[in-house]
Amino acid sequence: MNPQIIAQLIVIGFTFFMLLNSAAILVYMERKVAAFVQQRYGPYLVGPKGLLQPLADIIKLIMKEELRPKSADAFLFYLAPIISAAAAFSAFAVVPWGADTDFSTLARLLFLDKLFGFKGLEHPIHLAVADVNVGLLVIFSITAMGVYGIVLAGWSSNSKYSLLGALRASAQMISYEISYGLSFAAVIMLAGSLSLGTIVDAQAGYWFGFIPKWYVFIQPLGFLIFLTAGVAETNRAPFDFPEAEQELVAGYHTEYSSMSFAMFFLAEYVNMVTVSAVATDLFLGGWHGPFPLPDGFGWIWFLLKVLALLFFYIWMRWTLPRYRYDQLMEFGWKWLLPAAVLNLLVSAYVALRVNGW
Amino acid sequence: MLPEPTLNSYLMLSAVLFAIGTAGVFLRRNIITILLSVEVMLNAVNLTFVAVDRFRGQVDGQIIVFFVITVAAAEAAVGLAIVIALFRHKEMLTPDAFTSLKW
Amino acid sequence: MDALLFWILAAGAVTASVLVIGQRNPMRSVLLLIVSFVALAGLYVLLGSPFAAVIQIIIYTGAIMVLFLFVVMLLNVPTEEIPIGRAARLLGGAAPRRFGAVISAVLALELFWAIGRMTVLNMPGGDVKPTEVHDIGVRLFRDYAFAFEATSVLILVAMVGAVILARKEPR
Repeated sequence: MNPQIIAQLIVIGFTFFMLLNSAAILVYMERKVAAFVQQRYGPYLVGPKGLLQPLADIIKLIMKEELRPKSADAFLFYLAPIISAAAAFSAFAVVPWGADTDFSTLARLLFLDKLFGFKGLEHPIHLAVADVNVGLLVIFSITAMGVYGIVLAGWSSNSKYSLLGALRASAQMISYEISYGLSFAAVIMLAGSLSLGTIVDAQAGYWFGFIPKWYVFIQPLGFLIFLTAGVAETNRAPFDFPEAEQELVAGYHTEYSSMSFAMFFLAEYVNMVTVSAVATDLFLGGWHGPFPLPDGFGWIWFLLKVLALLFFYIWMRWTLPRYRYDQLMEFGWKWLLPAAVLNLLVSAYVALRVNGW
Repeated sequence: MLPEPTLNSYLMLSAVLFAIGTAGVFLRRNIITILLSVEVMLNAVNLTFVAVDRFRGQVDGQIIVFFVITVAAAEAAVGLAIVIALFRHKEMLTPDAFTSLKW
Repeated sequence: MDALLFWILAAGAVTASVLVIGQRNPMRSVLLLIVSFVALAGLYVLLGSPFAAVIQIIIYTGAIMVLFLFVVMLLNVPTEEIPIGRAARLLGGAAPRRFGAVISAVLALELFWAIGRMTVLNMPGGDVKPTEVHDIGVRLFRDYAFAFEATSVLILVAMVGAVILARKEPR
């Protein structure tokens, strides 16, 4: 078979594999960071420094009994977590995590040229599952589809409180989608393309020789709006009222147990990773670092930035109190949306002036 | 091998979907399903626009699709608001229940 | 490969649409319609319009269908169709339905006849080059600027109207 196709398939498999691992890493990271924020140790018994804790969690979840309320619609009940998880994974398909590469450095490092005569590919391939030319809108659309997982979960549980919790969660998600979209509309204007690879490449280079040309420096408000809307989209941190309702009444995944519950939480963590990855690509320069690394290692910068954003996510969750639902909706519509519109208008004006009327 | 789709196949598919939507509007007695059938019809029309667009190599069709989708959104919003108001009045969603304006 | 995808997506869209109008449970109708929309979005991608496909998914399946789902769930729309009274039996009885079925069949036959009489027009061959969003943007904001502004007024009117129509009467 064509080595290009094999390389692309390996990239796809690797991306999927790393997404699954990232969920496990996030489980561990969340518990450890939460513990240190709360001045305690967190998991330290299972494995060295508690590193095997996610494995223990997964085994526990698999061993639990799978329950289903009798009057719940069986098909929809099992479909809902699948939709959530599938949407979460699919959204990452258009996110590139490294520069276009032809694997020549990797081949040299792993001695593949001596062992197999493989000196690198003929044409460089994108390090993404599918870097389409409307990539950013694809992410937006798949995030919109993720709402269905929650809505169907609430409905099929056949319980008043689950339904209301699910409707609230989905109303929250679609309210914050608008600010989410407007904040990256400004970035699209600056970069001139909807494809994430092109947007990252537009952020290469430096001003004055040492300040990287990342969009976070031109669009600080846009970055903050994007992160806030992203946090609200993933139902995390201060905006997790529909989830934390479990403490008060009942959330949309009360009736779920074992693997279905695990799918919901997998979906949540993968959504977090996707939002952080997209924020890195859009605002933080993706795989371009403060100082350039040898060719083919840009993904290390990407990884570091995504980890920093994930740490910020977890830190926010355990530091800030959560918003009440009406405060949350008021904030989304009355404060965040006008701010996003203002950001877009000012960016458009400045972009026009800079390029000459 | 399967035959390549021609413009005629796309138009035929669009006609089939439109006919299905029309049948839904005529035959169903639940207001929400009638609204859904109207959406099916609008989608059939969108498919025609995009197919002819590809045939002629222009982008106007896609822009019209954009407007059709937006108008469908507005129509769905108002239609559903009316449905809610009606349901609040009569607890029924069959169009036959709302005949007070008939002679 | 493209041909196979076309037939699969077309079959999916038609099957889902037939099931939409055939289902008794409106919840299932809405979900099947979402399946139909996604199949159509796939067809748009095959026709080289990724922008139309993505717009369809964002607005149609992501917003309009969520609205339908909300209404179906909140109103707990009943599954059975119950005729009431004499007038309804007149309107909803067998004769009007037969009439409606005949009309739709006549429409379908007319359309098939008309399209069947067309000369076979082949799509331009070769690789489908997806349309650049830049071109769409230029056409939209230059030639169709008036329609764009009118649509935004329309959406505003629809929003205000929907809020007023669905409001509870102050007692």
